[in-house]
Amino acid sequence: MSTLLELLEGKAGSISDLSQVDEALKHRLLHVGVFEGCPIKLKCVMPFGGPCMVECQGQLLGIRRCDAQKIKVECES
Amino acid sequence: MITALVGNPNTGKTSLFNHLTGSYEYVGNWSGVTVEKKIGRLKEIKGDLIDLPGVYSLYPFSKDESVVIQFFLNETFENIINIVDASQLERNLQLTVQLLEFGSPVIIGLNMIDVAERRGIHINAATLSRKLGLPVVPITARSGKGCHELTQQLTSINGVKGNIPNIQYGDAIELGITKITEILKEKELNLPTRWLALQVLEGNPDARIYIEHWVSKDSVQKIIDFVEREVKEKTSFSSASRLIFEKRRIWIDEVIQDSISTQSEQKKNWTERIDKIVTNRWLGIPIFLFFMFLMFTVTFDWIGTPLSDLLDSFISGPLSNWIDAGLNAVGASSFIQDLVTDGIVAGVGGVLVFVPQIFVLFLFISLLEDSGYMARAALVMDRVLEKVGLNGKAFIPMVIGFGCNVPGVMAARTIEQPKERLLTVLLTPLMSCSARLSIYALFVGAFFDKHQAIVVFSLYVLGIVVALVLAKLFSKVLMKNEPSMFVIELPPYRVPHALTLWRSTWDKGKGFVRKAGTFIFGGSVAIWLLSYFGPGGMGVDLDHSFLAIVGGWFAPLLAPLGFGIWQAGAALITGFLAKEVVVSTMGIIYHTPDSTALQGLLSHYFTPLSAYSFLVFVLLYIPCVATVAAIRNESSSWKWTVFSIGYALVIAYVLAIIVYHGGKLILGI
Repeated sequence: MSTLLELLEGKAGSISDLSQVDEALKHRLLHVGVFEGCPIKLKCVMPFGGPCMVECQGQLLGIRRCDAQKIKVECES
Repeated sequence: MITALVGNPNTGKTSLFNHLTGSYEYVGNWSGVTVEKKIGRLKEIKGDLIDLPGVYSLYPFSKDESVVIQFFLNETFENIINIVDASQLERNLQLTVQLLEFGSPVIIGLNMIDVAERRGIHINAATLSRKLGLPVVPITARSGKGCHELTQQLTSINGVKGNIPNIQYGDAIELGITKITEILKEKELNLPTRWLALQVLEGNPDARIYIEHWVSKDSVQKIIDFVEREVKEKTSFSSASRLIFEKRRIWIDEVIQDSISTQSEQKKNWTERIDKIVTNRWLGIPIFLFFMFLMFTVTFDWIGTPLSDLLDSFISGPLSNWIDAGLNAVGASSFIQDLVTDGIVAGVGGVLVFVPQIFVLFLFISLLEDSGYMARAALVMDRVLEKVGLNGKAFIPMVIGFGCNVPGVMAARTIEQPKERLLTVLLTPLMSCSARLSIYALFVGAFFDKHQAIVVFSLYVLGIVVALVLAKLFSKVLMKNEPSMFVIELPPYRVPHALTLWRSTWDKGKGFVRKAGTFIFGGSVAIWLLSYFGPGGMGVDLDHSFLAIVGGWFAPLLAPLGFGIWQAGAALITGFLAKEVVVSTMGIIYHTPDSTALQGLLSHYFTPLSAYSFLVFVLLYIPCVATVAAIRNESSSWKWTVFSIGYALVIAYVLAIIVYHGGKLILGI
């Protein structure tokens, strides 16, 4: 198991654990369609510690790097 | 008959609203364009349609989202049109379930079918309709296709009882619902109790406050604690809200299973290709800055200024002559003639000549809004804004603020976190709005003819930099630290529709032209009267008029900034009404209807350096009346409103002094 940030750019994985994510954010992500079991892809990461862009179920989202770090994913081989 | 228009963010609700009601409300391609409810009259049948901000769920995260739940709790309506994004069907139906549980008849408008098809998702609307037990009408909100059918369906469902989905939420939740229903029994609530109970158990803060009007806080808390404990002990879910979400998801999967078919992965679409460039690690920020600079070059050097010069020669030439001839023909007194030519033509005309520049600028802003780039820019800027205690989303109000600060301040509603929202509200007025643009245009034409775009660009950048520095300062000193949150949806790019683009440009520009007819007209008359009368009576020498006296009070204060003349003082006071009035006042004071002549005259009173210092002061000194009202509204606090005026005055004064004296040192004057 690794974090979302450790996924290679463009590689797909599926979310396995969101328990470390801040409650409010977790709730928000849930409603945007990001929850355990969803396939997720890291599209790109902004420089200087900036946010990253992820794709989940055809939806592009921007989230902060510190939050992405708390999202655990299962890599697809 | 009242119908509410509800749906996820950026699914085209307002586009549909505009088609169904024939009105024109603000549309754009990002989540959170609509931040308040809007009412319109339906075109084809009798009834009102209410456009609500987009939400993923009735659970509110931000101020604009709570508009929706408040609407459900407190207002009456008959039907719901639920606009659903076909490319995100499963997620959109989470909201639909909550609407259905409310019990009003619902029609689904299925939008963005083309986007879904491109992703290889095909939806059978008829099957979906049968499974959900409600009408599903395929529509294209942008072009208005399907609006007629939608209206037809509306008449057919009116008065019919809604079809509440049969979802069993499991023992813990169901028991909770029963308990809440029990304590609410015999209270005369006009709301469906099962729906309300579910909202409360999901943790919806607004729903909870609502029921606490009827029953004691403790009794509600007890039930919630009980349910949460049960859920944790007896199920594998971490919270009641998560369990409720899951039960709904299972139901939704069941519903859409037969109505949706997905083809394998599609080829790379062009949204991805563009994103590769504009959100590139290294190119993102340079591209953004380049785009902004291009915007100013086109606005000033290429299109705006030449057009504006043409308009100027028309107003000062033929138009003025016609007006003079007309006034002579009707035998108007010399007082009236002076009022019209020196007051109204000089004041209003002086502002109107800048309409071309402002329209070009608005065209660019509309292009940004409609293309889908706005959310990307917010993403690219998040890191910088986070560093100063803001949020990437604050960037959107700021860009809108370049057009007009009032909608900019309101756009801050989409920011979830109260501290970041307040900061954005306070700082958006530092964004240089189009009204200020007319002042810059006047002065750069007079003093920086060769470098217009770069000088104006520097002022915009200055506004942004000051905002960032102050954000850092305010968030450190004035506000306590709260955890920040940033999630932003990046919509697919769209080729902007020529018609949408034009309407959206026109709609913004219209406000500017309208202001010329009202505020600026009235202001010009008042200013001219003040300049015509003095303690010595009528038609006094300008230097002894009331205007000169009032302006003179402020002149000594302005002297350290390099423009200690009463004319500048008078212009700045009137600028509080609307910033363009500064231009009108200058036109009236210097008695020239023609902005070229005015520019020539200005050089007797200002040096290039003091002119720049004046522009810096104008950029920062005080938000206009309308913006102050918006700040009061959004911050709900007089304290913060007064603060926003006060800090702006201080910062403007300090920076203008630095520019003037620093400039003098550097230039060796």
